[in-house]
Amino acid sequence: MINWIGFRTLVFREITRFFTVYRQTVIPGLISSGLYIIIFGLTLQRRISSIDGVPYTVYILPGLIMMNVITNAYNNTASSMLQMKLLQQIQDMLITPLSNVELAVAFIIGGAVRGFVNGILVMLLGIFIVGMPLENPLAVILIIFMVSWAFSSIGLVIGITAQTWDNIATMVNFFITPLIFLGGVFYSINMLPGFWRTISLVNPIYYVINGLRQSVLGVGDTPFSTSLTASIIMTLLFSSIGIFLFHKGYRIKS
Amino acid sequence: MPAAIEIRDLRKSYDDTVALQGIDLTIEPGEFYGLLGPNGAGKTTTIGLITGLVRMEKGSISVFGKDIIRDYRFTRSKIGLSPQEFTSDWFFSIERLLIFQAGYYGIPKKEAEPRVIELLEKFGLAEKRETKMRQLSGGMKRRFQIAKALVNDPDILILDEPTAGVDVELRHMLWDLLRELHQQGKTILLTTHYIEEAEQLCERVSIINDGSIVSEGTPQKLISSLGKGVIEVSLSGWDGSHDAQMSDFDFVYEPETDGDRLIFSVDNPGKELPRIVAALSSNGCHIHEVKINKSSLEDVFVAMTGRGIND
Repeated sequence: MINWIGFRTLVFREITRFFTVYRQTVIPGLISSGLYIIIFGLTLQRRISSIDGVPYTVYILPGLIMMNVITNAYNNTASSMLQMKLLQQIQDMLITPLSNVELAVAFIIGGAVRGFVNGILVMLLGIFIVGMPLENPLAVILIIFMVSWAFSSIGLVIGITAQTWDNIATMVNFFITPLIFLGGVFYSINMLPGFWRTISLVNPIYYVINGLRQSVLGVGDTPFSTSLTASIIMTLLFSSIGIFLFHKGYRIKS
Repeated sequence: MPAAIEIRDLRKSYDDTVALQGIDLTIEPGEFYGLLGPNGAGKTTTIGLITGLVRMEKGSISVFGKDIIRDYRFTRSKIGLSPQEFTSDWFFSIERLLIFQAGYYGIPKKEAEPRVIELLEKFGLAEKRETKMRQLSGGMKRRFQIAKALVNDPDILILDEPTAGVDVELRHMLWDLLRELHQQGKTILLTTHYIEEAEQLCERVSIINDGSIVSEGTPQKLISSLGKGVIEVSLSGWDGSHDAQMSDFDFVYEPETDGDRLIFSVDNPGKELPRIVAALSSNGCHIHEVKINKSSLEDVFVAMTGRGIND
């Protein structure tokens, strides 16, 4: 039997936690995305007027949305988990009648909601500033939700295995950020030379950015179904690893 | 009725260090039980295993007859834990934290709120309800920690060094509170560095050393098992010629002389004192003062472990 009240309480706690510090968790993404639109979009639009028939400023918006979704979802769960370990708050949960699955999923939902909220806010920013269209709103919501969940799960895995804040930042600085920029936020991979285009195809973030681009603009380098499949695989894989680590008590229990 | 906590052959190692080497322990419902041991003896590991904070390696633990692994939802709902180390939180008020904690146990917010207010009042934290953990003093943090352990109204309360680092006044307040909880029928498992605390509060204690239980019983039984008590008599009119007469008595130990004092080490000071006084009086001695020093639980601890509890 599921401990619904306990599960809902932890989900609520995780969501409230990031909303109480919205200046750190919500506003910065909006500001940086606005700056990207103004600086990159408006300046580069003079040189690259359109890609696949879409104005450059609008073309980069799905990438910017995904960048926010990914970094916020990841950071929320990774930092929450590490903080709970360092402050020993995690003990308060481990002694309660919450199962490992309930604990892991509640933490993932907290991060997924932060990623989702940030993604939707940047999307609204794009709609209001540059009149970004929404080709398929349901698909937009679905892909943002899936990617939020997937990267929140990755955050959980890293948060459990991390022992210092440095470990969490390393993942962002050396893996996630480079993969986002190399995943076609600001360009189509068709603009790359053959070798680099092939390399881009093994970057999972390339698929999720293009999935959103397809659902928002109706153009992209990959079909929506491929992108959705990639995000579902990431979601299932990393959620399972997170639950497994909780079950094992890896770096959570002595 | 099954035991509140039943531990069988509990073993645990951390890398090359053996923390527990086969502990057996039974705590009856409603009992006030103490676990005494020096640092690193295995007390916190035992508590961690009971509460699910430490991975089980070998052995079994049951709570009210249910296995803590198989029936963890049942067993955890019966236990409240006040850990030795303070947990902290940067985001929420202490009132909110208590409501969250109740929620994890499956208690709805509406039900939790009055209980939380009651606990905050009971522990003198009502005025600090909107305060965050880090803004509390050490004593308040300790009170909050115990309040949190009670938020699910557990049948078993486990306290790991609950009075460590608190002043004497708060220590006595906490003792009164623990006695009250015990009278209400709660089973209490306490670890402590303060021998006096165990003597004052616990019905039974175990002395744990190097991962093994070396002695168990009521504090009185443990003290009497060690045996010795000391009767110290200040007197005049004593000389060595009396030795022969004194040795006729079946005292366990010969008296030691120290100037105008005689020191008797005996098994049972209360029983032997009248005989000593009568013997000295009949030998023409004038007794000025008599002091009785009974063995304490601390003496038992030193005898069993070979070191002081704070060593």
